[in-house]
Amino acid sequence: VRGRGGTGERRGERSWLPSGRFALGAALVCVPLVLALFGPLFAGEPGPRATSFTLGGGHWLGTDFVGRDVWRQVLFGGRPVVVVALAATTLAYLVALPVGLISALTHRAWLEEVLMRPLDVLLAVPSLLMILLVASVFSPGAPGLALLVALVNIPDAARIVRAAAADVASRPAVEALRMQGESWWRIAVGHVGRSILRPLAADAGVRLTGVLYLVATAAFLGIGVAPGRGRLGGDGGPQPYGAVRSAVGRGGPGAADRDADDGLQSALRRTARHWPGCHCGTGCRYGTGRRSSWRRCA
Amino acid sequence: VSGLGSWAARRLLLGGAQTVAVVVLVFALTEALPGDAAVALAGDQPDPARIAAIREALDLDRPAYERLADWATGLPHADFGDSLTSGRPVSSYISDAFGPTLLLAGLTVALLVPVGVGLGVLAARYEGRFVDRLVSSVTLGVYAVPEFAFGVLLVTVFALRLDWLPPTAVGYGTDLLGHPAALVLPVLVLLSRPVCSLSRLVRAGMIDALASPYVAQARRYGIPGARVRYAHALPNAMAPAAQQLARTVDWLLCGVIVVEALFVIPGLGTVLMNAVAERDVPVVQGLAVVFGVITVVLNLGADLVAHRFAPRAEVAA
Repeated sequence: VRGRGGTGERRGERSWLPSGRFALGAALVCVPLVLALFGPLFAGEPGPRATSFTLGGGHWLGTDFVGRDVWRQVLFGGRPVVVVALAATTLAYLVALPVGLISALTHRAWLEEVLMRPLDVLLAVPSLLMILLVASVFSPGAPGLALLVALVNIPDAARIVRAAAADVASRPAVEALRMQGESWWRIAVGHVGRSILRPLAADAGVRLTGVLYLVATAAFLGIGVAPGRGRLGGDGGPQPYGAVRSAVGRGGPGAADRDADDGLQSALRRTARHWPGCHCGTGCRYGTGRRSSWRRCA
Repeated sequence: VSGLGSWAARRLLLGGAQTVAVVVLVFALTEALPGDAAVALAGDQPDPARIAAIREALDLDRPAYERLADWATGLPHADFGDSLTSGRPVSSYISDAFGPTLLLAGLTVALLVPVGVGLGVLAARYEGRFVDRLVSSVTLGVYAVPEFAFGVLLVTVFALRLDWLPPTAVGYGTDLLGHPAALVLPVLVLLSRPVCSLSRLVRAGMIDALASPYVAQARRYGIPGARVRYAHALPNAMAPAAQQLARTVDWLLCGVIVVEALFVIPGLGTVLMNAVAERDVPVVQGLAVVFGVITVVLNLGADLVAHRFAPRAEVAA
């Protein structure tokens, strides 16, 4: 797990967590996650449109450029981003686990080469570039985005599975299991698979955070997740800003699972009421649903 | 255990394979997808004349492998084809937009290493004290914020509330060096996350190194503290950080695209996003190849440097 150790390190060796810090960390993870996943349930009926960029009148975070309640947009925007990120991470491991386990446990060198070398080659392609390439031909939508993000995560995940599994597979216990005539499945899944759960869990946490960034960035650029889809027609169509708002409002689960500062989130929420740079009034093509049309407004 | 020469040779070979893979992948993802590419590309305006025009411009009637061969043979001579929307050669798009992107990325990398290493050494020197806690919690917090959200935050505070810096680079064209104030926020946003990860790695490495027997021995000899820190402990603390630097290349490329979109800087990222929005496939392909090859080359260089720092750890090959 080279090059990743620094982000989550703690002082001292496996120091026993004080319960206060643990509670803070748990709250930082759970509150945004619950808001993202169950937000649409709390949102209720859309209220009438208000004046753009104003506070008050029951709008906790103010209104956006077409007078919609920003808090409502935040509640709606989180779920697609989180669901796509979770699906992409799961998909990546569904492919990476078998590939990594097989190449770590096989005694045939050519099989390992065939499985791992193509992934080494893929490792060089920048992740956002791959998504943009596909988006230039057709709009991938949420399932397509999940597939793409999973695809760019497979090479790295498979390498880590293989590295962790190869470490376990060279231990005497595995040799003993082999000599006992245990089946490949029992050795690979029952012993090696269970032994690498701990490093894999650590990797999955880091990977999920990275995937969340990637999905949110893609959404910011107008690809994949169309957030803030209130009510088609009545509430305005999908538009790229909801993603920014929801991501800003969410404050990033990355902050949460690394027990970061509490003030950060509230600071981010406070800034989430305006989109800076847009004082254009009329002629602004916000919310027309066209990708990248927002840049013309600045 | 192979020597440095054979390792470098294998790494170069992998780099070559990666370049070929990037070219094939770029082509496959944009042109060889199932279905009629011309219909897909026409997108919002699916009238038959436009579909026919796209089909002719891209030579879609010929088999895919012939088009790939034609296109790939043009790449070494910087012949990327012509834009679908404007008819201008793609290479002119790239040469026009290269300057601002290079300036942004160059400035970021030039500042990244001193700032990241400096913060890491500072935190490690005062481990457990106020300075360390401040640096550690700020880097942790900033690390968790995606570039676009951090950019929005900085623009709100420094451009709109305090009015110290321009909010975007609109109106300055490609002459960004003449307006350094417009560069401050974009470079800050680009620096934010890599600096945090780098300084945390350097801090962890420095704390280990400073607690090691050889540093204690150097202190007993009466060697000045600064020399112990920078000449003896730091090189050993740099090994994991050097590998992390290799990984920031991908990050930096994503960051450049986002930051250019956010601050409206007319660089390669903006050209790419516009081409994606207009479904201008030749431009997207050309830029993707440029971005991909730059990534491969930078990764190769970073791996070679990281290998020099930490010959024991095998990097990527």
